[in-house]
Amino acid sequence: MAPRRDAARVLLRIAFRNLLASPVRTGILGAIVLVGALIVVVGSSVLDSIDRGMRTSIQGSLGGHLQVYEARSEGALELYGGLRGESLLEPIEDFSKVKAVLEQVPNVKQVVPMGIDQAMVATGNAFDLALERLRGDVRRLEAGEDGPELRRDYAAHAAHVRRMVQLLRDEIAQAREISDPEGREAAERKSEWEALQRAATDAFWRDLDRDRYGSLEFLENRVAPLAMDTAFTFLRYVGTDVDAFFRAFPLAEVVKGERIPTGQRGVLVGKQYAEEWLKLKNARRLDQIKDARDRRGKRIADDEELQRWVRENRAGIREILLQLDPIRADALAQELRPALGAPAAEPLEALLGRLFAATDESFDGQYRIFYDVVAPKLRLYQIDVGDTITIKAPSKSGYFSSVNVKVYGFLQFKGIERSGIAGMMSVLDLMSFRDLYGYLTAEKAAEIRALQKSMGAREIDRERAEAELFGAADGALVGEARVAEIDEGALVKRREEERASAADLAAHVYSQEELEHGVALNAALILDDPRLLRRTEGDVRKAIADAGLGLKVVDWQEAAGLVGQFVTLLRVVLFTAVVIFFAIALVIINNAMVMATLQRVKEIGTMRAIGTQRRFVVTMLLVEIATVGLVFGLAGAALGAGVVWGIRVAGGIPAVTDLLYFVFSGPALFPRLGALAVGGSLAVVLLVAILSALYPALIAMRVTPVEAMATED
Amino acid sequence: MHRALAFLALAAALAAGPAAALTPPELAKVVATIDERQRNSGDWKALCYMEAKEKGKTDVVYELVVYRRDEDDKQMFLFTKPRAEAGKGYLRIDKNLWLYDPAVGRWERRTERERIGGTDTRRGDLDESRLVEEYDAKFEADEKLGVYGVHRILLVAKPGVDVAFPQVRLWVDQATLNVLKRQELALSGRLMRTAYYPRWKKVFSPSKGADVWYPEEMRLFDEIEKGNSTLILIKEIDLRPLAANLFTKAWLESKSR
Repeated sequence: MAPRRDAARVLLRIAFRNLLASPVRTGILGAIVLVGALIVVVGSSVLDSIDRGMRTSIQGSLGGHLQVYEARSEGALELYGGLRGESLLEPIEDFSKVKAVLEQVPNVKQVVPMGIDQAMVATGNAFDLALERLRGDVRRLEAGEDGPELRRDYAAHAAHVRRMVQLLRDEIAQAREISDPEGREAAERKSEWEALQRAATDAFWRDLDRDRYGSLEFLENRVAPLAMDTAFTFLRYVGTDVDAFFRAFPLAEVVKGERIPTGQRGVLVGKQYAEEWLKLKNARRLDQIKDARDRRGKRIADDEELQRWVRENRAGIREILLQLDPIRADALAQELRPALGAPAAEPLEALLGRLFAATDESFDGQYRIFYDVVAPKLRLYQIDVGDTITIKAPSKSGYFSSVNVKVYGFLQFKGIERSGIAGMMSVLDLMSFRDLYGYLTAEKAAEIRALQKSMGAREIDRERAEAELFGAADGALVGEARVAEIDEGALVKRREEERASAADLAAHVYSQEELEHGVALNAALILDDPRLLRRTEGDVRKAIADAGLGLKVVDWQEAAGLVGQFVTLLRVVLFTAVVIFFAIALVIINNAMVMATLQRVKEIGTMRAIGTQRRFVVTMLLVEIATVGLVFGLAGAALGAGVVWGIRVAGGIPAVTDLLYFVFSGPALFPRLGALAVGGSLAVVLLVAILSALYPALIAMRVTPVEAMATED
Repeated sequence: MHRALAFLALAAALAAGPAAALTPPELAKVVATIDERQRNSGDWKALCYMEAKEKGKTDVVYELVVYRRDEDDKQMFLFTKPRAEAGKGYLRIDKNLWLYDPAVGRWERRTERERIGGTDTRRGDLDESRLVEEYDAKFEADEKLGVYGVHRILLVAKPGVDVAFPQVRLWVDQATLNVLKRQELALSGRLMRTAYYPRWKKVFSPSKGADVWYPEEMRLFDEIEKGNSTLILIKEIDLRPLAANLFTKAWLESKSR
């Protein structure tokens, strides 16, 4: 034992002596090893943290641990959408059967039905919305209803529309000054202007009660189209059993409003979606300026984007003015004057101009005034909590389906609130999803076939259409018809239960059985122990095959589609970079060691002459390089740990894009140093160092005393 | 001299080719006749069947009533079948096209180019013919369409007129002056849609004091999305005057409730 220890001591002493004898060479080799270890430690720490972040985001928002969907589907499941839009999935016709089978699989805690799609939400332009409110009052009045409250609403809504007409007239009057009176559409412009002038007269509003519907039609068809505002928006939603969804996805939380009551229809709108697409643009821009100043340290004076937002806010005042009826407009002006220190007679438009003309010094105060004084008088979101919205989508059966659903609240996912990937998602009740999806039931299909048959329509091949239709002079080209009496009243007979259901749908409470017996597009599986994911995946596959369900099983990462591949992509990039780095390192170390070995031929020869074994010589060189690897590898790992610590102290790596927000599972990534990262980096650098020293060791081993003595130096 | 003149006349005739078949006044008359024969001075109500086929999808079929009051430029569609679609409707007033869905009780502003009920039908397919008002005509050729002799005419939209298709090519039956085929083209000349009208019917209109013609069958083929087609059948015509307030939102709402 003692001779071995002595030999080791001698080897180490020689190694250190050699290393210290050539400090430049040792420094170069050490630096390479150190940088390599540093890259591996920092890279793998960051990647592991990203992996954790993404696992949290995907599993906690939509993915669960496993997902199943119909195996016959044309496309693959992509929970967050793919390059070609939503996944093309065949429906799971009866979710309850899937649930019954999969819940029996060991380690499966929960099976959540889902259907992800996009639909259109008609928001109407500001005019259409104001007129719709007025029409609602008119409908009630014309139906014989009356009362002080209804009269008050009617008067306020009419005053609001009248104010909008005036604002629109002012705006179009300005546009007329620069338009060509002899232009192509001059006649049409003239007619539009006349309609607007008429709607702005006292006489028009005085006579409103004489012909309420007539006046409304005039405003809706001749005046409102001139406002030219956006009239719809798109909503991405997951239709699901809402209670089960909240149990399965702990990151989901309602931030405004409440959850959809158990078994009822409703929607929870994605908070981030509401902020970006539904919020009053001026308010949204104020939020963005505040965020840029507070979080990113930007200044209006230096930043072009912030300056643009300030300019756009000053130009966007019309949107606010259109929202206010005369009473609220006066009240707002009265409150704004003292708050802004404006002269007593300054009109509202000028006051708002003053409010939005923000500088770095005045911004915080103006931001507060907006939210304290202006915002309470406005509708900040086009769709807000408590509204009933109409969602419309082309259904599977080919027809457009529409449903009315109440907005119960705004939804966000904890930790990834600002992510555009998860934050855009809204949650819709399963029954409304099924109505929109419009699965063609056997009953519907039979009705369509019967209608086709009764009409005697024959199918014609496009390529042979002309020959079939005009190929023979059979006298069918012209004929005589007799007038008929068409009674649409009899044709539009709807079943009594259908009439009732339209009104009662919102209040109807569906049983769990009703929720589960029906169509879903995919289902999320939540496991008791996620560490057993692979084993459970196999069990689920077997259960599906045994029951003949014909479903495909994918893990959360695959189900996330492109987003899920992000970590894999990063790993490939890091791995490639590390491989290239170490390949270069290998060559450099190898060269340096070969040179060093050749310089020491005489010394090695002398050692061999006094009886040193070849094995000792090889070991000597390997110990030498291993010492460099270990010392500098440790130093590199320590430096890497320092970098990781530094990143954490400095506030993490900021998520500058939506995707990063999602994969970091928060606004910044805080990498964590793992034992595996340190151990792995040391192993890699030692391996590379030893590999690169093998060839020089081989040269040294072949040196004989005779050759060494023959050398001049 | 006479020989030279005869030669020149022959050369001119040959150079003009088939275009000589319809002189400009004759061409104008043909186009005006197409409009005139379909025009009805009074109201118009038709019970129609619409069937849309799309590649890889289930057929979409409707029964609907189409209403027209041409003098006011008003039009309305009320869907009556299938049951789930009954009560839905479109109302056109001036350049506004509104869609009503009784299931949600709301009106939605749609564009003039709306694909009616998600089919390949545009509102204009069921409107009166306004070729003279909207297009300038150019005679192209006389030729055969199947066994029928037809005039082929190219229509180009008049400047400043807003139409769905800037160019339209018609194949007009020489014997009856009914349109048998219609190609609709984009400004670039790209073919967008082809329509065939293999059966025309006439019905006596008391308000017009003459016959009104209508295509009993229309077959529309989408030339962009090959494989998509729509069939429209006009099953019945009712020419009685319509209620004065028919083209209003309130009327359609009342029918759908």
